[in-house]
Amino acid sequence: MILVTGGCFQGKKAYAYERFAICEEEGVDGAVCPMEALYSARLCYHFHEYIRRMMESGQEWSFERLKKENPQIVIVTNELGYGVVPVDAFDRAYREKTGRICCEIAKESSEVHRVICGIGTVIKHD
Amino acid sequence: MLTLITGGSGSGKSEYAEQLVLQGQKKPYLYIATMIPYDEECHRRIARHRRMRAEKEFDTLECPVRLKEAKAAGYGTILLECMSNLVANELYQENGAKERCVEETLEGIHKIHSQCEHLIVVSNEIFGDGIWYDEETRRYQQYLARINRELAAMAAQAVEVVYSVPVRYKGDKQTV
Repeated sequence: MILVTGGCFQGKKAYAYERFAICEEEGVDGAVCPMEALYSARLCYHFHEYIRRMMESGQEWSFERLKKENPQIVIVTNELGYGVVPVDAFDRAYREKTGRICCEIAKESSEVHRVICGIGTVIKHD
Repeated sequence: MLTLITGGSGSGKSEYAEQLVLQGQKKPYLYIATMIPYDEECHRRIARHRRMRAEKEFDTLECPVRLKEAKAAGYGTILLECMSNLVANELYQENGAKERCVEETLEGIHKIHSQCEHLIVVSNEIFGDGIWYDEETRRYQQYLARINRELAAMAAQAVEVVYSVPVRYKGDKQTV
């Protein structure tokens, strides 16, 4: 598993496609894809939006299932949590949940890349 | 020694800081907690942190304001968490230091630092959401940022935790 993170509009998706030689047809958009698509895609971008949809529809997250069914996936996510505590309770819970899930993914990942201005830095490499 | 650990919300910085303490820092351990629980969500957060510290031999000292008055002598390692709460309390609580917040907090840090072998401070990155807040909130961001900068300058080790991954800005990979 590989995690690519960074702020919004930093070129994370383009970086990931190129860096890991994945063609766009093999990637899914976490903001709109069927929830099941995560378990077979080569790459999932907007993963934070996937988490939001999961929370909004009351679905449980199973990292065990992802590890078992799609351990090679590249996950591209916005790095949330660099702002003032949101006023809205759902926004706070969403930010928190995304953090916990991404920590879990980062620990399991062989590589973690952080992208700023389109430039990736490898911050973890096993 | 002073270590600064910063990161976004939910980045795993607390867990990282606790692991750092447990990796052979000098005992006894003191945890200085700064959050004032005002609702159920706060209680849950505090309970989560308490569970994480359970059986790790930390004494806990509640210090929501006035760090320089904290009775923290006699400990080998002190973990202070989190600077963002402490600064918010100093600004918004009735008995807070208000506009003297930065000076008072840094005085408190110096005092506690001089009393122990290793002080580890956890802070928070609240500067990157691109939203232009009201004056009061901007002042809060400014105060916390100033304290973070001062701490990083003083610190022997400074680390940002990114979704559980430490990104080191100061200090050695063997020790932090």
